[in-house]
Amino acid sequence: MMDTRMLPRGVAKKVTIYLNEDTQHHLGPLYESILTYLMHKGVAGATATRAFAGFGGHNVLHTPKMEALAEHLPIRVEFIDSAEKVEEVLPTLYDMVTDGLIEVQDTHVVKSAMKEKPLPGPKPARFREAAKAKLMQIFFGEADRWHEEPLYDAIVKKLRMMEIAGATVHRGVDGYGAKGHSHKKSFFHVSRDLPVMISVIESAEKLGLAAAAVEEMLDDGLIVISDVDIVRLVHANLPTS
Amino acid sequence: MQTYQPAKLLRLYVTESDRYQEKALHEAILEKCRELKIAGATVFRGVEGYGETAEIHRARLLGHDLPIVMQIVDTPDNIERLLPAIEGMLDKGLIAISDVSALRIHK
Repeated sequence: MMDTRMLPRGVAKKVTIYLNEDTQHHLGPLYESILTYLMHKGVAGATATRAFAGFGGHNVLHTPKMEALAEHLPIRVEFIDSAEKVEEVLPTLYDMVTDGLIEVQDTHVVKSAMKEKPLPGPKPARFREAAKAKLMQIFFGEADRWHEEPLYDAIVKKLRMMEIAGATVHRGVDGYGAKGHSHKKSFFHVSRDLPVMISVIESAEKLGLAAAAVEEMLDDGLIVISDVDIVRLVHANLPTS
Repeated sequence: MQTYQPAKLLRLYVTESDRYQEKALHEAILEKCRELKIAGATVFRGVEGYGETAEIHRARLLGHDLPIVMQIVDTPDNIERLLPAIEGMLDKGLIAISDVSALRIHK
């Protein structure tokens, strides 16, 4: 079993190969040979899909109605990897595809996630990691919104997407801010606008990015940043940042 | 272009049952902050905790005595001005002040 490999986020290349299902390579279908080759080269992932219909260089329309047993349908093999990896595998693919089309596009990996498999054996060891970090506190109102959703939800989602280590939303019970109005809970629970504070702890560098993103989203509020000393307890099998 | 300004963050730890002149202490402090034109203050209620008296504060069936944390952010001058006023109102409790940089956003 090969080591698992996850694609990093950011710029990448997407390769699409168009073939016929019955194009052969040595003793098997070509798409199988291509998938096997890509897997051995450690490409992060590849998918072969059978098309519903299409035509190619031979100017013959391939549809399920026209093909006996539908074995001559178009197949599309797609994979995404770094420019270097694509550069590495392209010459061989060029050689393998005797009948078909290869295309490369620039793409952008937004998310590449893999569920962690529980490790067998005893509970993994923990270790202590002390570091300097930054604490950001963002103050605004519970009723503030961002594109029809609560602002605090939107900020947490955004921070998650930016892979910020963590964020906690606190709801105040009373308070006032720059708007001057009191945030106290009203007796009839109508027009609730209690104060909300989100606290985020991250390295200085990443926190700077997070603060800039929050600044964009906040219409009326306060961002407070301070230095903190942190102690993290980390499982030995998890990557540390 | 707005920029981050040096400021002070004051954290105040009291409990829900603390009183000041027949009023809940945190409400009285909030009023004092408004009176002194402090930029803003937020009151948080803790879920559980303990402090100087070492009695555990948690929600009981009758009567709450939960920890209250107040956070106040303002310029060093204003916090300096607020501090003696708050100190006069507290019998017991804890005040912690830290240096922060703050950005007020108002679009």
